[in-house]
Amino acid sequence: MRRYVTNPMIIKELRQRLRERRSWLLPTLYLIVLSGIVVCVYYFSIDADRHLRGAEVQGADIGQAVFVAVVLTQIIVLLLMGPVFSSGAITIEREQRTLAGLLTSLLTAPQIWWGKFVAALLYLLLLLASAIPLLALPFAFGGVEPLDLVKALGSTILTLASICTVGLWCSATFRRSVHATASCYAIVLVLTIVTAIAFGMLYAHWQQGHPGTPGPPPHIQAPLFLNPLYPLLTLIDEGDFRFYVYPVSSWLLFTALGCLAAAFAMRRLQHSGEQL
Amino acid sequence: MIEIEALRKSYRKARGLDGFSLHLESNELVGLVGPNGAGKTTLIKILATLLPADSGSVRVSGHDVSADPVAVRASLGYLPDVAGIYQDMRIGEFLEFFADAFRLKEPQRTAAIERALERAGLADRRKDFVEHLSLGWKQRLLLSKILLHEPKLLLLDEPATGLDPLARIRLREQLKRLHSEGVAILISSHILTDLEDICTRIVFIADGKNVLERQTDARAVGLPSPTVTCVLEFEGSAEMLDRTIANFPGARVLEKRGGFLHIELSGSPQQGSVFLGRLLAAGISVLHFDARGPGLEERYRRAFGERTP
Repeated sequence: MRRYVTNPMIIKELRQRLRERRSWLLPTLYLIVLSGIVVCVYYFSIDADRHLRGAEVQGADIGQAVFVAVVLTQIIVLLLMGPVFSSGAITIEREQRTLAGLLTSLLTAPQIWWGKFVAALLYLLLLLASAIPLLALPFAFGGVEPLDLVKALGSTILTLASICTVGLWCSATFRRSVHATASCYAIVLVLTIVTAIAFGMLYAHWQQGHPGTPGPPPHIQAPLFLNPLYPLLTLIDEGDFRFYVYPVSSWLLFTALGCLAAAFAMRRLQHSGEQL
Repeated sequence: MIEIEALRKSYRKARGLDGFSLHLESNELVGLVGPNGAGKTTLIKILATLLPADSGSVRVSGHDVSADPVAVRASLGYLPDVAGIYQDMRIGEFLEFFADAFRLKEPQRTAAIERALERAGLADRRKDFVEHLSLGWKQRLLLSKILLHEPKLLLLDEPATGLDPLARIRLREQLKRLHSEGVAILISSHILTDLEDICTRIVFIADGKNVLERQTDARAVGLPSPTVTCVLEFEGSAEMLDRTIANFPGARVLEKRGGFLHIELSGSPQQGSVFLGRLLAAGISVLHFDARGPGLEERYRRAFGERTP
């Protein structure tokens, strides 16, 4: 176990990653985008509240709107960045001809995988952590509880970890970074858009037979369990949102997806000497 | 050090190795020679635990390559034909990473890194980025890297490719020094003059099979050569020379051209020295004498002449 904590791959990966120009450029752009969203949502909420309630503006409404907007924007942006950091991790070693050196050292395939995984996830967590002040801003307005923040961050971290393992599996499977990254983006698209479309079709069909029923049952929601945005729907005020969301099902499925992708990636990595 | 018996490896459309066998002792520096596609890289990759063999047995330092790959990796250093290097790391960081990857503990870790820097001649450049090194320096750094854990066997696949003449000379000297320090080396190369200079034995491979195997150096231990071929350039009486040759048991003239002779002597490699002594005692003025037999290029031509276009 100690070998995985003091893994030299983690230090090497982080060192190389933080030397890249994008290591400071991306967090800057990321925070600019999130700050822009906060400002837009703030003014939009004030405007909307004034239209609904006249001169009276509810701080809780603004707080909740800002929080949901930041959380959703954050996961969408990180889902776009996750494949960039994970799906090139092993292919770059192959392309630079450095994988043979790693495989003939005393590092095991799980150690190499773990080093790549931790480094990719840690960078995404750095982005996540850098946005915590923006996420904490709604507490000043009210309408959001600390538990909401914990649930949102926990769910985002779990989803990103799963996406990183999928990216690493793509990276271990394909010879070239461009193919691995494209495949990983295709999987992310399937998880976010295709599951939503599948749910929409099932829901429409189900609703015809159950008019007036407040929310769809779990089996109708099932395609959404693999949608990265689904567990975050619990953050939306239940008064306005008609569904009863089952976040645990989603968390379990993402954990299973992550474990499966990790197992396949390590297996591919063990046999990657044949691709050198 | 290496025991390979009837090794076979096939790819989807081609056969990599077809019953290849090799025994390499701990005091040997063996050159692996063959045309492109002969199976040299496949063989080295199997030894380095990167490729699984289809059949046959492969043992390195007494460990079975497929059953105990970790022990095999701990005992060898492998330099691939196109070795990549982390350009965005500092030289010191690069060596530290691989020292950790080979699980070296302090104080051996620091000592190994310092030794590697000294060996590569980069002790005063440890903070420089790897990308600023020339190809020759990078190759020296890579060679030092694979020696960090003090392996007893080196597998080198075309290590001199792309190096300038000076870098090649330095590489040869380094390999000779390592060999003298007791490191066994299996080296694959197309640069026959380099191999001829450093190897104690040459192994020929073609179509994944052994072709022939001969001693390249009379100083090498092992099987004695049945004959010695000498090249002689002389000045003076040809009659005296003919008489000396006729009186030397087992001597036969293969070719005579003016003052040049190509002679075959039966017996051990020491016969060359004895024969030279007789020539000098007979008062023949010897301008040039070489008893090393046919060069590696000639042997290569004999072995593969019909195969190469």
